[in-house]
Amino acid sequence: MIELLMTVFSATFFVTVIRTTTPLLFATLGGLISDLSGALNVALEGMMLIAALTAVIVSVYAPWYVAVLSGISAGAMLGALMAFFHLRMKADIILVGFAVNILATGGTVFALAQATGGDKGTSINLPSKGVPSVDLSFLEAIPVIGRTLKSLLSGHSILSWLAVLLVFAVWYFLYRTPYGLWLRGVGEYPAAPEAAGIPVNKVRAWSLIASGALAGIGGAQLAMFNYIGFTRDMTAGRGFIALGAVLLGARHPVGAMLAALLFGVFEALAIVMPNLFNWIPGELIQTIPFAVTALALVLFSYRAQRALQRRNAAKA
Amino acid sequence: MSTSSPSRFALVGREVARAVIALAIALLVALVVILATSADPAKAFSTLLTAPLSSNRTIGLWVDDVAKLTLTGLAFSLVFQAKQFSMGVQGQVYMGGLFAALVAMSPIGATPFAIPVAMAAAMCAGAVYGFMPGYAKARFGASEIVSSLMLNYIAILVVNYIIRAHLAPAGSGQLVTAKFPETAILPAIIPGTRFDLGIVIALAATVVVWFLLYRTNWGLKLRLVGHNAKFAEYSGIRSSFIMVSAMTLAGSFGGLLGAVFVQGRAFGNLAQNFDGNMAFEGILIAIVARNKPLAVPVVALAYGYLRQGAQLMGIRTDVPTEMISVVQAIIILLVASSFTLPGKKFIGRLMGRSQTATTAPEAAK
Amino acid sequence: MAPLLEAISIGKTYPGGTVANDGVNLTIQAGEVHAVVGENGAGKSTLMKILFGIEQHDRGELRLDGKPIRFANPREAIDNGIGMVFQHFSLVPSFSVYENVVLGSEPRNGIKFDRQKAIADVRALSEKFRLAVDPLPPVGQLPVGQQQRVEILKALYRDARILILDEPTAVLAPQEVEELFVAVRALVAQGRTVIFIAHKLPEVLEISDRITVMRAGKTVGSVNARDVTEDSLATMMVGREIALRVDRAGARGPLACEVKNLKIDAENGSTIAKDLSLKVHAGEILGLVGVEGNGQAELLETIAGLRPAADGVIALDGADLNDLSVLQRRQLGVASIPEDRIARGLATGASIAENLVATRLSDKRFVRNGLLDLKAIKANALALIEQFSVRAGGPNVAVGTLSGGNMQKIVVARELSEQPKLLLVNQPTRGVDLGATQFIWKSLTKARDGGAAVLLSSADLSELLALSDRLVVFYRGKIVAAFVNSDDLTAETLGTYMLGLNTQDPETMRAALQ
Repeated sequence: MIELLMTVFSATFFVTVIRTTTPLLFATLGGLISDLSGALNVALEGMMLIAALTAVIVSVYAPWYVAVLSGISAGAMLGALMAFFHLRMKADIILVGFAVNILATGGTVFALAQATGGDKGTSINLPSKGVPSVDLSFLEAIPVIGRTLKSLLSGHSILSWLAVLLVFAVWYFLYRTPYGLWLRGVGEYPAAPEAAGIPVNKVRAWSLIASGALAGIGGAQLAMFNYIGFTRDMTAGRGFIALGAVLLGARHPVGAMLAALLFGVFEALAIVMPNLFNWIPGELIQTIPFAVTALALVLFSYRAQRALQRRNAAKA
Repeated sequence: MSTSSPSRFALVGREVARAVIALAIALLVALVVILATSADPAKAFSTLLTAPLSSNRTIGLWVDDVAKLTLTGLAFSLVFQAKQFSMGVQGQVYMGGLFAALVAMSPIGATPFAIPVAMAAAMCAGAVYGFMPGYAKARFGASEIVSSLMLNYIAILVVNYIIRAHLAPAGSGQLVTAKFPETAILPAIIPGTRFDLGIVIALAATVVVWFLLYRTNWGLKLRLVGHNAKFAEYSGIRSSFIMVSAMTLAGSFGGLLGAVFVQGRAFGNLAQNFDGNMAFEGILIAIVARNKPLAVPVVALAYGYLRQGAQLMGIRTDVPTEMISVVQAIIILLVASSFTLPGKKFIGRLMGRSQTATTAPEAAK
Repeated sequence: MAPLLEAISIGKTYPGGTVANDGVNLTIQAGEVHAVVGENGAGKSTLMKILFGIEQHDRGELRLDGKPIRFANPREAIDNGIGMVFQHFSLVPSFSVYENVVLGSEPRNGIKFDRQKAIADVRALSEKFRLAVDPLPPVGQLPVGQQQRVEILKALYRDARILILDEPTAVLAPQEVEELFVAVRALVAQGRTVIFIAHKLPEVLEISDRITVMRAGKTVGSVNARDVTEDSLATMMVGREIALRVDRAGARGPLACEVKNLKIDAENGSTIAKDLSLKVHAGEILGLVGVEGNGQAELLETIAGLRPAADGVIALDGADLNDLSVLQRRQLGVASIPEDRIARGLATGASIAENLVATRLSDKRFVRNGLLDLKAIKANALALIEQFSVRAGGPNVAVGTLSGGNMQKIVVARELSEQPKLLLVNQPTRGVDLGATQFIWKSLTKARDGGAAVLLSSADLSELLALSDRLVVFYRGKIVAAFVNSDDLTAETLGTYMLGLNTQDPETMRAALQ
């Protein structure tokens, strides 16, 4: 137990948490934007997976930032695809989302086999690149707290810093710009923006595209920083956990960040625990993030619907 | 209501036409992908389209797939009819498979009761697993989509762990149990193939689901809840009870599928990751069948053929099996869409899309 | 000088084949208040949707300032100075007043939404046009009359020269109508033009300069308001003398339903209504009067079992209903015709036969041992289709394919196929044509004569005055007045109580509540 506590309060653990949180946070922000625009984006998982593979393959031939950008575009294009089928072809958004997920599960394996010349498991034989980390060693020069600051803040992915920035950018966008007002209006009561002459479907389409782009950065971070290279099904449910995090974060960007951080902590725990408790089977430790998401979802819904629950109790 | 009227035939005809058109478009895309990636596209494409009929053995593989696809399709149809988007069939399959295996490996497994007892155990396990997200939704309002997906991951990890640590023969380092006793494995209908009792079970399940939905009080209530939950509540139907019971019943079919998986001639044991993601393909079956139970085996027959063709294509040619996911996605997208005929209107829509694509950036400024 | 806005032989056929407009002519002069009147289904709404770009006409021509014009969407109409206030408001409930007003045309400061300017602009506008409303609170918390002002401000903020008001008085109490008219006059005084859609003739005569009458998708003619009377207008509207007459109840029966000290809470815990006490006897219709949102709808839902009672008693024939489920209440003889037939009263995707038995799935005639008796269900449907003259292809047709009037008939047929003891009715004739209205009124009085105690809520005071034997007035979740219906009772009297301007002394109220 002491060991666990020592690990949890160490700087390395903090760095691990930031690493595990980052892809989740991008996906959660993506989920938040589409959710606020009135569409539940269940395809975050597939978008991340496809973006991760795209980024890995592109990074073999191009600089890392081009690879990240191509991951973003892959996600955005999937968002556009969803928008087309949902808004123009009137298909149910959840079915469309699962179509994207199914495409991602098989399609990435297919594309991986094409890119590697037959390997259906990993991209290990591809010389893919990583996202650089930000070196803040100079912080060490600060007296007293310098060392701690350095060990906490140095060495994170550039994208982790971008993620923090994006939390505030998304907040600013949603609550301080006219387009954020449009987006929230469309999600809450589409008839109002429609009557005000706002192109409702365009707002929805762009929300899905932005949602995909954000999930895409998450995928790129996953395959270019958390791991270097692509593995089959490497998102392992992160896109679905992000859906839970949107709800848990009370549909607010800062809440989303806190929720993503919570799940990040549990994922980081799942990473460090096998070293500490080798008697707990690895598979069971891996269930922690999923179990926590399910429980958190139930608890949060319970709180949110306590009034409803009272009503059921009154009836019983 | 099953009483037929002319409009009903027209309706069925339209649905079939839509499905066939979707399939044709999807196959066209598959052809393009094969042309682009294969060294011998003709062989790959003809394998995809004809291989399942090449031998008794491959026909058996096909029928085996049809049975499993029918069961997962039925499980999804049930929850979709109640307008619930529970995605938990995969987890139910794992739990069902686990419990069927436990029975098969117990002393009961060597008795003639092995098959029915194992199936009952699997159905109970699946039902419990289907009940959980339903209850969480009815009681706490927790999104059944997210909770059922989480339960899937948990089931897979737990079952994999139990196999590795407890059920696999000790010291073998294998990730699979020993073969079940022959009494616990579904008998083959055509000896030497995978054409086994599974397909009979699947067809029986189809009739059961149809009967429940269209001939019982519960089924009518379920469909009314699916059409309009507020109306159901106003009519005096306890919609949360119906919703939870539908998800529980669907769970038991998911569990049954788990038993058919592990006790089928294809396996006869419990292995890690045994479902090969097939559980999720029930979404496609249910959508194409418009959640109508009697249409489910028909769709499974057609789709299972394609699926088996893809498997064989992956084995016999240079095009990986996973190419088929492109076909799956396109079929789901097209069937879920409200397109009518692939004539002028459809093309007009495609053109319309490129228009929005060019004008849309204004909204992003 | 060319008229400001002109519609010349406009025609519109909906994809389903419904001809909504057929040769409609309308001429609007700048600076006038122009009323367009007609029955429900006369094509007024379609015409307005065409003027505002929501629908596009198939035939004919629109002219603005003498130039032909066609609006592909509301944005284009707005850009051309046309604003519209719908009957169902288009406001985002959680947004503040000023956010709703500027939505879609926000003042900006770089990429930032300039909130301070928005607030200032809305304040200035509301002063200029005498539409007093605080810009800051969320609109969801405002009373209906204020929400309507927000809608008008929205149009004015976009600099609408022509303001279309679609049935603006339908949701207002008489005194609020007066305030609206003050605002309309202020608008015209400042050079704006108002198109006023209505079917209440006294209001039309009071506010408008010119009146265009529509009937069955056509314009019948245009007249000067001062040249016509209510009677002549009514004749133009319906093409015949109308007499929607209802026979009042004979002697009322014994006490059927009693509500005592009922308290109703919203799901968020706030109180919607409290201290509700009333009695309904068999064979009488009790009208629930009040501006929408004052607790009448919730009372009906609570009695039906769709909402829990926070406190108090609901008794039917002496038996307490509070702990009973919806189904148990229905079995005791409670029937209800809900406000929104599509959202609550029907499963539009299910067949007519299935809709007609949905409330009676524990009835041995239709269900035995958990199995459906399909023959009995079909026979029931055929009988009711015949009895209520529903126009439909057959019992297996999906309800969603029927017209609005026929859908409402399915609801009424189901609820009245067996004589109820207590009938709960909310907005029975909203959005249905005159023929169906007559039919539904008749069905209600028939149920009453059969011994049902009827609770009727309606936004239409004339409907309440026509049907009710007694009336109770709701204001802010309380019963503030009660009346025995008589020819002396007027909408204006009720209005003073609806708005809380007047209070009744407890004695009079108690007498009328018995």
